[in-house]
Amino acid sequence: MILLSGGCRFPGSSDHPPGYLVVGIESNPLELDPRYATDANSVRIDALIYNSLLRADDRLRLRPELASEWKMTDERTYVFELRQHVKFHNGKALTARDVKYTYESMLDPRNHSPKRPLLRALEAVDALDTYRVRFRLSVPHAPFPEQFTIGIVPARSNGIETPGAEIPPGSGPFMLDTIDPGERITLKANPSYWEEKTPLAGIIFKIVPDAMVRALEFKKGTIDFLQNDLEPDMLPWLKKNTDAEFDAHEGTTFQYIGVNLNHPILKHREVRQAIALAIDRDSIIRHLLKGFATPASGLLSPIHWAYNGSVPQWSFNPEKAKRLLDHAGYPDPDGPGPLPRFRISFKTTNLDLRKRIAEALKEQLARVGIELEIRTYEWGTFYSDIKNGNFHLYSLAWVGVMDPDIYYQMFHSASIPPNGDNRGHYSNPELDRLLEQGRRTTDAAARKAVYVQVQRILADELPYIPLWWVKNVTVQNAAIKGFVPYPDGDLISLKKVSLQNRLP
Amino acid sequence: MKRYLVQRLLLFVPTLLGALTLVFFFIHLIPGDPIEVMLGETASAADKEDLRHALALDEPIFVQYASFLGALARGDLGRSLYEQGAVTEIIRARLPATFELTLGAMVLAVLGSFPLAILAALNRRSWIDRVALLLSLLGLSMPNFWLGPLLMIIFSIHLGWLPVSGRGGFSHLLLPSLTLGLGMAAILTRILRASLLQVAGEDYVQTARAKGLGESWVWLKHTLRNALLPVITIVSLQLGGLLAGAIITETIFSWPGIGRLTVQAIQTRDYPLVQGCVLTLAVSYLVINFVTDICYRLADPRITYGK
Repeated sequence: MILLSGGCRFPGSSDHPPGYLVVGIESNPLELDPRYATDANSVRIDALIYNSLLRADDRLRLRPELASEWKMTDERTYVFELRQHVKFHNGKALTARDVKYTYESMLDPRNHSPKRPLLRALEAVDALDTYRVRFRLSVPHAPFPEQFTIGIVPARSNGIETPGAEIPPGSGPFMLDTIDPGERITLKANPSYWEEKTPLAGIIFKIVPDAMVRALEFKKGTIDFLQNDLEPDMLPWLKKNTDAEFDAHEGTTFQYIGVNLNHPILKHREVRQAIALAIDRDSIIRHLLKGFATPASGLLSPIHWAYNGSVPQWSFNPEKAKRLLDHAGYPDPDGPGPLPRFRISFKTTNLDLRKRIAEALKEQLARVGIELEIRTYEWGTFYSDIKNGNFHLYSLAWVGVMDPDIYYQMFHSASIPPNGDNRGHYSNPELDRLLEQGRRTTDAAARKAVYVQVQRILADELPYIPLWWVKNVTVQNAAIKGFVPYPDGDLISLKKVSLQNRLP
Repeated sequence: MKRYLVQRLLLFVPTLLGALTLVFFFIHLIPGDPIEVMLGETASAADKEDLRHALALDEPIFVQYASFLGALARGDLGRSLYEQGAVTEIIRARLPATFELTLGAMVLAVLGSFPLAILAALNRRSWIDRVALLLSLLGLSMPNFWLGPLLMIIFSIHLGWLPVSGRGGFSHLLLPSLTLGLGMAAILTRILRASLLQVAGEDYVQTARAKGLGESWVWLKHTLRNALLPVITIVSLQLGGLLAGAIITETIFSWPGIGRLTVQAIQTRDYPLVQGCVLTLAVSYLVINFVTDICYRLADPRITYGK
């Protein structure tokens, strides 16, 4: 039995070596090469291994990282001055050539990088000298700077590669040590990091698929840090049974109900407004989410620089919802009786919490005479249905929203699938025009004015019915000092974290 | 016997082919598209078609099936669509964990059930017998997703003796093996007890006693050995079930085995990886059955196979 396990390891030190921070995560990161990484776990781990030209700070503003300076010389050109003396984990110096290589390898269609579509506007990357690099765009594209947050990898002689064949070294505060598939990813401190060296010896990302087991591991002390991925129900237990430090801070993850605007009933704006009014968000947040969310007025949360707070709000008002439905031509056939005004389906995933939220929504909508037929699916099937427009209503979340240009992908008429994510087939020439303008406008104040209007239109038209912004919940061992939460759940501040007098 | 075993080995081929064909078509026919998952939200239709073409997912399904079988004949299971590397490598990395867990469960099940069943059969209708039956009823009734966390709370949190989850040394193996093996132990206890009682009433056992053999010799040589035949069948059936059924236990105990890998592969529609996982499970099942046949013969030399 022991022989078969092939190099059996014994417990104790390998589980929790001194100076290492153990972070519990739910699933295996799928792809760590930053040029291909799209899943949340990979992106968060990558932020610790790789540096990028710019990086979002804890208010989601872009700040120089590998760049010592950067400027937009004209509307289509960005020039970066790189920090000198930055070395990759393999000892090689990081230069303009590596930056050029990183972006060009993503642009090469043979590499099939999922980031290539985001770089569509990029015409050329030129290494002006060892530490100066220039990006030229084919058209002014205001959201482009977000793409300067992709991790830089060392240049290789051969441009074509098999994605994921080998994970390239980075230049970040931690270096990839080992990957035990399905078990853990171990990072160790980069001893020659160009910024100040991290106080930690390393970080272990321990993969624990079950939420309750993550809580038990935390209680046992074999996990030091958890962010999100916790069942709201477990938090009161953890509070009572451990001396952990809890923190819930506003996040950018936006949960919404998507609407199929080709549906004969749902295409009426008043019906969508009635649904928005019939939902008691506060009650769902209090009882099912244990307070770890904030009712949302739209995609952009108050943290965001382009947030517009003065838009129509759809707070719980079932009476008004009924009046709107009557007015829209859908009277209740038998008043408070059992017959509904109409029946629509609601698709969601088969996760326990999602099902309970769906049941609460069903109850709430039933009170204004709308019968919701809940359909739950395994993720692959659900996502495929949503992508193909095969739904009446569905619930999903947008995670990691940074640039407001994401509205283009969601609601521009040119983004109707298969060319984007306008899955509800929303089409509004005025909004199209604004979204195109927002894309071209590089002046920050003028750009904000555009998106203020966009938010007003969407809050009135409701192609999405906003639910809430999910808070980021962190649970950390009391010995951890210096963690700074980021609204998008980024873990970059773990590089400054120290462990003080950790209990055994 | 040799000829029979060769025939059995030859039967592997159509059985595996059947299993793989079913899986190939099922996984391709259910809704969901790996391209969407791989390229994410922003890809254009052209990008998607491009990648679909590069992965040959735009070929007619029968062409894909033929090239899958062709590659398989060369021992090539393809590359995973998301995980880094070849399917065979990914599975090879995960397989020892599942074998370790399955064997651990089986060893615990056998060690727990044999003494209990023998004691119960020797003391039929006594309190020992009743306790044994009660325990096996409990073992059968407790689902893994409930038993696992219960064991963790008792042994890892309250008593602090064992780690909560994860793979490591012997101490890591105990709780998941117990969780996975308890149901099997319960079944084995019942089968072995019933089988022992039945054999104990047979004429040849009476004859053995009449010959003046000691009671323990009668039990060991004549009763237990003959009572083992149905037990071997159950062990082999259960072992195959354990391999495939370890999914829940692997998930609860963060065990990096092939069960969890299969689920993840299905969720992400990683076609090559799903096919590889199913092939591995099917081969394990067949091998176990094959070994069972040999065990039969060792337990009962009278058994012959064909002509």
